[in-house]
Amino acid sequence: MNIRFLLNGETITLEKARPEETLLDLLREDRGLCGTKEGCNEGDCGACTVIVIDENSVKPLNACILLLGQVHGKAVRTIEGVGVDGKLHPIQDAIIKNHGSQCGFCTPGIIMSLVAAQMNNEKDHDVALAGNLCRCTGYAPIIRAAEVAQQVVLPEWLIFDREKLVSCAILPSLEQPKSSDDIAALLVKSPKTRLIAGATDIGLWLTKEFRDISPFTFLNQANDLTKIEEMEVDYKIGAMVNIEDLRLWAASVSPSYGELLRRYASIQIRYAATIGGNIANGSPIGDNPPALIAAGARIELRCGESRRTLPLEAFFIEYGKQDLRDGEFLESIFVPKDFENLCCYKISKRFDQDISAVCGCFNILVQEDRIVKARVAFGGMAATPKRATHIEEALIGRDWSLATIQSCENLWDKDFTPLSDIRASSAYRLKTAQNLLWRYYRESLGETCNVLEVSA
Amino acid sequence: MSFDATNSSKSFKSVGTRPLRPDGVDKVTGRARYGADFNMPGQLVARVLRSKHAHAKIKSIDTSRAETVKGVKAVVTAADLPDLTDGDPALFAVLDNCMARNKAMYDGHAIAAVAAIDEKAAKAALKLIAVDYEILPHVTDVDAATLPDAPVLNEAIFTQGVEPKSTRPSNIANRTEFGHGDVDVGFSHADSVVERSYKTEQTHQGYIEPHACVANCNPDGTAELWVCTQGHFVYRQVCADLLGIEVSKLRVTSSEIGGGFGGKTHVWTEPVALALSRKANRPVKLVMSRDEVFRASGPTSATSIDVKIGANKDGIITAATATLRYTSGPYADMWAELGAMTSFACYDLENVKTVGLEVIVNRPKVAAYRAPSAPMAAFAVESAIDELAQKIGMNPVDFRIQNVASEGTQSSYGPIYGPIGIGPTLEAAKAHPHMSAPLGKNQGRGMACGFWFNFGGQTCTDLNISADGTVTIAVGTVDVGGSRASLSLIAAEELGLSYDNIKAVVADTSTLGYNDMTDGSRGTFSTSMATISAARNAIEIMRHRAALMWDIPLGDVYWEDGHAHAAGTKHGNLAPLSVKDIAAEAGKTGGPIAGHSELVADGAGVSFATHICDIDVDPETGSSRVVRYTVIQDAGKAVHPSYVEGQYQGGAAQGIGWALNEEYIYGEDGRLQNPGFLDYRIPVCSDLPMIDTQILEIPNPKHPYGVRGVGETSIVPPLAAIANAVSNAVGVRMTHIPVSPPRILAALTDAKD
Repeated sequence: MNIRFLLNGETITLEKARPEETLLDLLREDRGLCGTKEGCNEGDCGACTVIVIDENSVKPLNACILLLGQVHGKAVRTIEGVGVDGKLHPIQDAIIKNHGSQCGFCTPGIIMSLVAAQMNNEKDHDVALAGNLCRCTGYAPIIRAAEVAQQVVLPEWLIFDREKLVSCAILPSLEQPKSSDDIAALLVKSPKTRLIAGATDIGLWLTKEFRDISPFTFLNQANDLTKIEEMEVDYKIGAMVNIEDLRLWAASVSPSYGELLRRYASIQIRYAATIGGNIANGSPIGDNPPALIAAGARIELRCGESRRTLPLEAFFIEYGKQDLRDGEFLESIFVPKDFENLCCYKISKRFDQDISAVCGCFNILVQEDRIVKARVAFGGMAATPKRATHIEEALIGRDWSLATIQSCENLWDKDFTPLSDIRASSAYRLKTAQNLLWRYYRESLGETCNVLEVSA
Repeated sequence: MSFDATNSSKSFKSVGTRPLRPDGVDKVTGRARYGADFNMPGQLVARVLRSKHAHAKIKSIDTSRAETVKGVKAVVTAADLPDLTDGDPALFAVLDNCMARNKAMYDGHAIAAVAAIDEKAAKAALKLIAVDYEILPHVTDVDAATLPDAPVLNEAIFTQGVEPKSTRPSNIANRTEFGHGDVDVGFSHADSVVERSYKTEQTHQGYIEPHACVANCNPDGTAELWVCTQGHFVYRQVCADLLGIEVSKLRVTSSEIGGGFGGKTHVWTEPVALALSRKANRPVKLVMSRDEVFRASGPTSATSIDVKIGANKDGIITAATATLRYTSGPYADMWAELGAMTSFACYDLENVKTVGLEVIVNRPKVAAYRAPSAPMAAFAVESAIDELAQKIGMNPVDFRIQNVASEGTQSSYGPIYGPIGIGPTLEAAKAHPHMSAPLGKNQGRGMACGFWFNFGGQTCTDLNISADGTVTIAVGTVDVGGSRASLSLIAAEELGLSYDNIKAVVADTSTLGYNDMTDGSRGTFSTSMATISAARNAIEIMRHRAALMWDIPLGDVYWEDGHAHAAGTKHGNLAPLSVKDIAAEAGKTGGPIAGHSELVADGAGVSFATHICDIDVDPETGSSRVVRYTVIQDAGKAVHPSYVEGQYQGGAAQGIGWALNEEYIYGEDGRLQNPGFLDYRIPVCSDLPMIDTQILEIPNPKHPYGVRGVGETSIVPPLAAIANAVSNAVGVRMTHIPVSPPRILAALTDAKD
């Protein structure tokens, strides 16, 4: 497969490239661009952050799990390409002047994240830097540098790269599906094809386990699946919507869901990962499914020209097993519009960039003090994302009162027998799940409980 | 070199300013070359096979199939690293850790290694190495390892330091004891006593750059090593010893270092890379994966510590004891000893006794981590001090001030203190606005003190004056925290030049005399002494040259403000000569001008800090958030205040991570469960407040400018400061670090029950 993309403004054509090779390996080993660092090779440290540009987005991404097939047709900027004509980018300059670089190993990645944040007008440094580990500074001098650099103008190369993408006709490859129809046709023909969306999981199979993933295809050019549409009773979310775009949408319709997604991994991972990948991969702790189950989402699976829908919770059969047939793929997610009561709680050891120990989502509708609807779903409490059906039954039809919440206390272990693992013990999970219902109740009465909200 | 009191009143021109770091542009443009950024023509890629067993006898290793893989050029096992350690147990431990000889002692222990033309071939070969293991019972927990029924991990280890001599092998490798007075008498005078046991979990230095090297052994017996290290001279010595290379024939170049914090003071894979290169007769590059860094490079000790402290009604501590058990991994070491020495170093105690017990476990070989062993001891002691203050109804700052060590105090580990900074940091903490700021709901404030010895050591520096009057200093201490900037300031100060005229480089092992590594907070302390000495030697030469240029007696030339001056009135018309003037004529007055210095930098002044921390705890989930943090530490003299602050903030940040989240988690099978940054959680941006710092300057009498090391002490107080803050927030004493959300919630639940 031929791969073409722009690298720091120059066209790169790779004939007979291995599309499953990582961009990081190409940069460091073939192109001698060693400014992009390898700190973990699994998307956790951000030392390999690069910027990937296309016609409508500027994304900071982890090069260590970014596959060449994903950058085809795009423009890539590395730390070597952010300054122009021998001049430092203002953020590079600000890092030096504010002593924001100590050992310097994380510095290129930090700078790329800050440059991307500035280009995307993201002013919250905790958001912009959640995916970049620095072990030397404690971050304070980096934040000072970021504040100083915030007012800079967009780099000239943004326009240059975008124009060159058009003028040099770096067109999407014919070998990759361009639409949902293409994916459907491909899977009918070759049902075993592995679909690669964001590669935030598959990337690790390649870099850590050296797995052979053939046959595979990349979905990142199926643009018709990257839309969120408002329908009559639902929102329709394409499977290829990335989590950062999903977050921006979620923040406008359900602040609590938006906040949950703000804490979904890091911005680099959110820009790569997709909602379809997050669901189809079947993780028991992926943070979207509990929220979407509580919201009452259905998913649409497509095989050839036929489609079927099912409630999201029904998709998860058991650990590692989803209701996905040969030749079928997840095309869309339908979320009912009436989920403004949805409240999501993510419990993890670290606030940002951490996997949930427990993710609890509540969608409870109270009318005239009576509970008329209750959808409660949890991640991290079972082998799959799961509804708390006993709790729901105990709530529906009852008063929204202290007594009702108390009556749920002994029902949790009917719904869940969580595991003890490195993230939390079974007892911790059950206890926090119980406490979260209390918290939801108290917050519904107007009390502020969250430690982070209190101190904000 | 002793402190020159005139310097304390002197207004420094360069020292104390905050110029930009010379390595700044390289670092922000990606041009700085770290361990993995260097390549040699024809180099091979190396990969290491590691044990998945916590404890297993290696019955046999068959590498024959691996050797046949296309592209494989060498396979090595322990047989390729014969034992040349000549009965030196510490060196043998390094050898055995680099490549297991008879037994795999932990999950991650190296068994064999392969060099091949690419990673794919190397990985394929690793899979074909057949190792026949006999699985042995293992123990990873510090307390479990000391129980009578624990498996004995090394039959050759008998507890040292006990009377009568131990006759049975034991997992307690040694016992050390420090203190003075009579603690039994002391406790009999106490009105209140606190006695508790504490635990801390094992943590990793967490440098973002994995270990990396390129090794090249030539057929003529010479070899070179490019490596990220905190001490290339030490690496040279150890590698030469283990491989039987003459020391001078091994040239080691230190790369830019992407964090070390003690973890890069120790060789892990470098001897293996050299052995592979020797066998393959080609250069070999070996880069550890993150998983290998966690599983097989040195973490700190896990500990279990019992503390007992008694005080009378007046708030005087009458007696204090601590028993400290530290894991050292599979080999005997001195981590518990350091813990026992540092425990009560902040206080002036009449009766004190500490006992350190070094515990062998099936975990990786422990390496230094920033003030090694001190944070855990401080956690235990400072927690007990806080509790005792509450018990006798005293404010925790006042209680500490009441008992604080000062000049003339006999320290708990032996020496009599000179001028020290613990008292002033406590007074500064008391006066700090942070201490009196109001706290919100569910918030708690904690404070704690910390101590570190600091180290001086062997140091060698060259200072060369170029024809244009600019200066290069070649130092042998790796720059881990901005020392090229601070040493340039020192040279500028002595020579009377501007900072911009000085360029500091880290020289390789073949171009400079031996230097100890950058540890013990010695980089700026020791090398500044050598730099001052080298500069003064160069000034002497420049005086000579000026005398020649003027044709006047040497005795009539004096040096001031970067210029040679002719003394008195008899040469009255002679305009002073600048360094530039003298350098320009060097070819005619005797050749190049250089200053050289080699010394043992004795007198690293001990270092103290006091930290204050506010924490917000969510009682329903156990999550917590540090909302305010203040570091107050004595720097002696802050050469580059921004980098001193950087050390204060960086140490505190690491301590906060350790206190709240970081821990090695081992499964029942003895395997490390979280060897990656996702589940070994170092702080990200949102985990930390903007850490505030206050620099105190209590001059070190043994340094001409009064400088003390500043790099390590800042990691000592945070464990205790945070545990005290959480304990105060939730009303339950937290005794197990990290105080992660599950531990906080469990403590709250237990307290309710």
